[in-house]
Amino acid sequence: MSETRLKILQYITGIGLFLFVGTHLVISHLSSGEPTTWESIAERASSSFWLAFYILLLIFGLYHGLHGLRTIITESIPTLPAKVVDWTLGTAGIAIFGYAAYIPISAF
Amino acid sequence: MQELTFKVQRYLPGKDKRPYIQEFTIPLRQGMTVLEGLIHIKENMDNTLSFRSSCRMGICGSCGMLINNFPMLACHTPVEELGTDRIEVRSLPNFPVIRDLVADLGPLFEKHKSIKPYIISLDVEEAEVLTAEFLQSGQELEGYVQFAYCVKCGLCMAACPTVATDALFLGPQTLGQAYRYCTDRRDAGVEERFHQADSRHGVWLCHLAGACSEACPKGVDPALAIQLLKRAMVADSLWLRRKKKPAPVAQPPTESKQKIAVPEFTVK
Amino acid sequence: MEMKATGSQHRHLPNRLGIKGWIWGGNYTLERYLYTLHRVTGLGLLLYITLHLAMNGFRLGGVESWEDLMSVFGMSGFKVGEYLVAAAFIFHALNGGRLMLQHLGYTLGKPKPPVYPYVDSMRRRRPIVWVMLALIMALAIYVLIAFVT
Repeated sequence: MSETRLKILQYITGIGLFLFVGTHLVISHLSSGEPTTWESIAERASSSFWLAFYILLLIFGLYHGLHGLRTIITESIPTLPAKVVDWTLGTAGIAIFGYAAYIPISAF
Repeated sequence: MQELTFKVQRYLPGKDKRPYIQEFTIPLRQGMTVLEGLIHIKENMDNTLSFRSSCRMGICGSCGMLINNFPMLACHTPVEELGTDRIEVRSLPNFPVIRDLVADLGPLFEKHKSIKPYIISLDVEEAEVLTAEFLQSGQELEGYVQFAYCVKCGLCMAACPTVATDALFLGPQTLGQAYRYCTDRRDAGVEERFHQADSRHGVWLCHLAGACSEACPKGVDPALAIQLLKRAMVADSLWLRRKKKPAPVAQPPTESKQKIAVPEFTVK
Repeated sequence: MEMKATGSQHRHLPNRLGIKGWIWGGNYTLERYLYTLHRVTGLGLLLYITLHLAMNGFRLGGVESWEDLMSVFGMSGFKVGEYLVAAAFIFHALNGGRLMLQHLGYTLGKPKPPVYPYVDSMRRRRPIVWVMLALIMALAIYVLIAFVT
């Protein structure tokens, strides 16, 4: 995929994250209830809306973060082979996604 | 008489392991530039001091140096504008140092050549043997003429934080010139330049620090050119770019104006 | 591309600023340091995401494991860290929005022939940056009040 298309995805995930993380911040960290108690987490865990929300948040967050890290590594260590950087970050991203997506899916 | 202290970077390859600073005190003259100060040092105090200069009027781009931690053209910088009587002069950062204040601008020229900085015309015959001008409106010219003022001084490359870490990054000068040629209606090399700019060390490593435009001594604003290049590349990637029609060649005039006859002499 | 010294028996001295150039490269103005802060907040948020996802794994251990973890995170040191993450997100998101618009050439104006004294497009559009910074400050203060109360 061309660098331009990867950057367009970075912009799209950036906008998405603004909405998803903003919502997550308000719900989980700023709301007056007790959003981090086991009961309230269990309630959200049984909702298909929240499951889809968390999976999308995970995909967008991992892509945006790892693409940013790829850019920083490419600039800081330009002699590192491109394939090594891409495959390492891609594998790490898939592994983290697999582990992190399993948690809400198993609780659903 | 007021005096200035010049703290000048010295480095002689083969003798010095790293650059060091040498101080010179020189008399201040009204309207003096940093270049005139360096010439005074070379002529009167230390003729081994090496630096580049040529036109001494801000048009050739030879005398780019780091003056009080900011890249400037030495000929274009009056010492009074620096607001201090201690002036530190170093060679341009992000370029190898050949000697003293002389930087190796080879990397700049190699990258510049890589984006084919010339008009690539579809009408090869016309381009080889010019018979008439290519027509462009004033508005079309305004779309790129600002970026055509580049003198290849390298100050933007010295200022860029990405060039500081990544030797392979094309840099603001190269990318700005890529946009200059892509926008010119006489040019047909857009795809080739987009391909070069779309590389891993191409346009997307620019993160709009804006230091290049801040440092540019000719008002070229390479940061603007780069962001406009990004817009064109995104539009192209999404199949939204409007391909411009090539600039037509001016047709020869079909009718000529009647010559005004020379009046008869009134004095015989 | 590999740049080699030509015509000299001695190697030219490399003179790259390196990563130090991100932190302080010279007497530049605001936008260059917003770039550095954007990078630092991005890396901070990436680190936080990794820890946050690891922390979520405690849910798999059941209610006791989760409640034990939440009691640790209730300590004031973690609350300060949580606020810093929120502040970093606010900066990164709003600055990122500005960058996205400007990367696509919007809000920078059109090219025009330069007239001395030169003012480049980013300096001409400096008020946009001030508005963005004011918005960031306002949101950061609002979130701080929400955390404290």
